[in-house]
Amino acid sequence: MASIQILEINKLKVKFIIEGVSEVFANSLRRAMISMVPTLAVDFVDIYMNSGLMYDEVLAHRIGLIPLKTDLEKYNLKEKCTCSGEGCPSCQVSLRLNVEGPKTVYSGDLISDDPDTIPAFDNIPIVKLKEGQQLMLEATARLGFGTEHSKYQAVCGCGYKIIPEITIEDSCNNCGKCVEECPRDVFSSNNGTIEVTDIYSCSLCYLCVKVCEENAIQIDENTNRFLFSFEVDGSMTPLKVIKVALNQLKERFAEFTEKMEKLSVE
Amino acid sequence: MVVAQGRGDRSPTGEAMFPVRCFTCGKVIGQYWEEYQQRIREEPPGKVLDDLEIERYCCRRMFLTHKEVFGELVD
Ligand SMILES: [Zn+2]
Ligand SMILES: [Zn+2]
Repeated sequence: MASIQILEINKLKVKFIIEGVSEVFANSLRRAMISMVPTLAVDFVDIYMNSGLMYDEVLAHRIGLIPLKTDLEKYNLKEKCTCSGEGCPSCQVSLRLNVEGPKTVYSGDLISDDPDTIPAFDNIPIVKLKEGQQLMLEATARLGFGTEHSKYQAVCGCGYKIIPEITIEDSCNNCGKCVEECPRDVFSSNNGTIEVTDIYSCSLCYLCVKVCEENAIQIDENTNRFLFSFEVDGSMTPLKVIKVALNQLKERFAEFTEKMEKLSVE
Repeated sequence: MVVAQGRGDRSPTGEAMFPVRCFTCGKVIGQYWEEYQQRIREEPPGKVLDDLEIERYCCRRMFLTHKEVFGELVD
């Protein structure tokens, strides 16, 4: 049975252990979180007035990178929307920016049509305006996937590692060389006996195995335990990302199963 | 110093402003910039970055190597 245990969690970051799944599953989950979780981001900007120092293109790029709080129940993918890709309130949201210098323009100055879809952080500096400089623009955000552009990617630094099983056999003479050699301080010496105290930090470098003259250290990599960690860009909570990713995998496999069944009938 | 390129009075690139995201991993870092800038006047930058929970060295170098020059080019 697969189980999940959360070690650390806050608004932007999560660290958890998945147990009882194969590495194939762990990697599918990682890839699904990176590329199958859609988020809202600005991808079209109408600039009416820009007398500031920054080029229109650079300005539009910076606005595009700002994460927006995304409610996936509220918005459709533009391609799959009932408006057939023309753009309507259920597949896009527009944000206006109307400011005059002297001022530092922040992401919080963007005024959204939808009060729930606002920048995830309101203090990201976009541009600095001087006396008399003006900025007037309308930005349009839509849902997209991380495969298209990294601004649509909900997670960053998403990865997992194997939690191995390290056994110290009775032939250990407690020389302490492994304690010294391990760069991650996995081992510690407790009253002269060597113990594994921080298994989560192990990077499978096998330096302890190489340094042990008695060959007393055994490392088992096939434990089916994985330590996941990732951060989100603020568009949704870490747990929401995991849920959406798992649902996406489920949907795709359901679709595949359906097609396979049709195949066997013919 | 006056740098005139392209449309004259504009800065040639936006890099003079602190990037919104880390170039390498995509973490949103723009929101920490002003706090970082304030705090490094009195604290060591490494400690401030630890406090802000900016762990990876790709994101840390974004802060450590940034020089705010936006707007200075035309003064
Ligand atoms: Zn639509
Ligand atoms: Zn980074």
